[in-house]
Amino acid sequence: MQARTTFEGQTWLHRVRAGLKLAVTLAVVLFTVMLPRRPHLAALVPLSFLLIVWLSARPPLRLMLKRLLVAEFFILGLALLTVFNPAAAPLVAAALIKSNLCVIALLLLTWSTPFLEILHVLRRLGLPEVMLSTLALMVRYLPVLREESRRMQRARASRTFSSGRRLAWRSLGNIIGQLFVRSADRAERIYLAMCARGWK
Amino acid sequence: MRAAVEIKELSYRFPGRPTPALDRLSFRVEPGECVAILGPNGAGKSTLLLHLNGLLPEKFGDAPQLWIDGEPVTPANLAQIRRKVGLLFQDPEDQLISATVFEDVAFGPCQLGIDGPSLESLVKDCLERVGLPGFEAREPHRLSHGEKRRVCLAGVLACEPAVLVLDEPTSDLDPRGRREFKALLQRLPGAKLMATHDLELAVDLCPRSLILDGGKLVAQGDTLQLLADEKLMLAHGLERPHSLLHRHPHGPAYQLHRL
Repeated sequence: MQARTTFEGQTWLHRVRAGLKLAVTLAVVLFTVMLPRRPHLAALVPLSFLLIVWLSARPPLRLMLKRLLVAEFFILGLALLTVFNPAAAPLVAAALIKSNLCVIALLLLTWSTPFLEILHVLRRLGLPEVMLSTLALMVRYLPVLREESRRMQRARASRTFSSGRRLAWRSLGNIIGQLFVRSADRAERIYLAMCARGWK
Repeated sequence: MRAAVEIKELSYRFPGRPTPALDRLSFRVEPGECVAILGPNGAGKSTLLLHLNGLLPEKFGDAPQLWIDGEPVTPANLAQIRRKVGLLFQDPEDQLISATVFEDVAFGPCQLGIDGPSLESLVKDCLERVGLPGFEAREPHRLSHGEKRRVCLAGVLACEPAVLVLDEPTSDLDPRGRREFKALLQRLPGAKLMATHDLELAVDLCPRSLILDGGKLVAQGDTLQLLADEKLMLAHGLERPHSLLHRHPHGPAYQLHRL
């Protein structure tokens, strides 16, 4: 996933060392997080920085918006909790600004850096091996899972003759459930294959 | 002489199942021998293969029932056993766990404490042996099915096993992929044990075969003689392979080895 978006349209941002990008992203996120709890003019600092990077690297707008939208669900979910208390409106606004800034910083990082490079940097920084191998396995098996769910959806579609929305939702539920079960089975087989090659 | 694999009275029952998956199996595989394990689906072939690597049973009994290269398979020496037995799984996706081909082939040797330039040359060597030189930086999910399987094989070879155990090594491969993979297997030294439905594979590579059905060893012996026995074949969900019925259209030179 990362590799594909990286190979097309290489920009200067892609050529910056992964370690440096990771450090700058971390700095931006830390700075943003430590801003006051209410909307503050200081938020313009990370905003203008990200704007400059964005405008000079020009990431594909639709792809970035799509990814931002995924994160937005979680952000808005948090915001909903505070809607019941109108006095909290400025707090919610600040939280929205901050989380969006952080997510955009991370989006720029993951768009311009192959995940493998980020992992290498994290390994050099001495992150616990368990965390790293979990991340690496996730990246390795996401395409397999995607392919598996696509196959199931296709097989389901080939035997779906009516166009009921309820049926569609139910079969989507089934597919997600199946995916869980199959993933658990696969995890078992992967573990056996790792043991067979000396994993302890 | 020490057998590469020796099994005496091996039984296994999956928890909660009424019938045993393996029922008092006994056989030997000599060093350097290539043996096919044939039988219908659910005969216990894959279960048997997992035993060879000590991945099953979950709980070991008191007396060992399996010996690899003269060593009993016990909880105490599982690490050595797993080094001696290279297991190639049926689905390469299960076996390819790393983000790059290099890391995957290096997975086993890393556990053995090999690193630096010797690791690099070992990986390079193993990839050359399976016919994929220069594939180090490739990502597993971008390889073809045949290439994935070969990377898996390279990862197994990197541990320098004495016995190679293969689960359906030619399933899902196109005819060329199958031919190439067969030739590749034939070049590898050491004892080989392969569970397969590909009877032509058994004819071409394995002078001896075992036939499993319902967890029992129902026949063993010369592959060509067993496969020519129509009655035996049909009784156990198998059939006489075409190469034993007709002459091959491309002549005998096309095949790997003949009668």
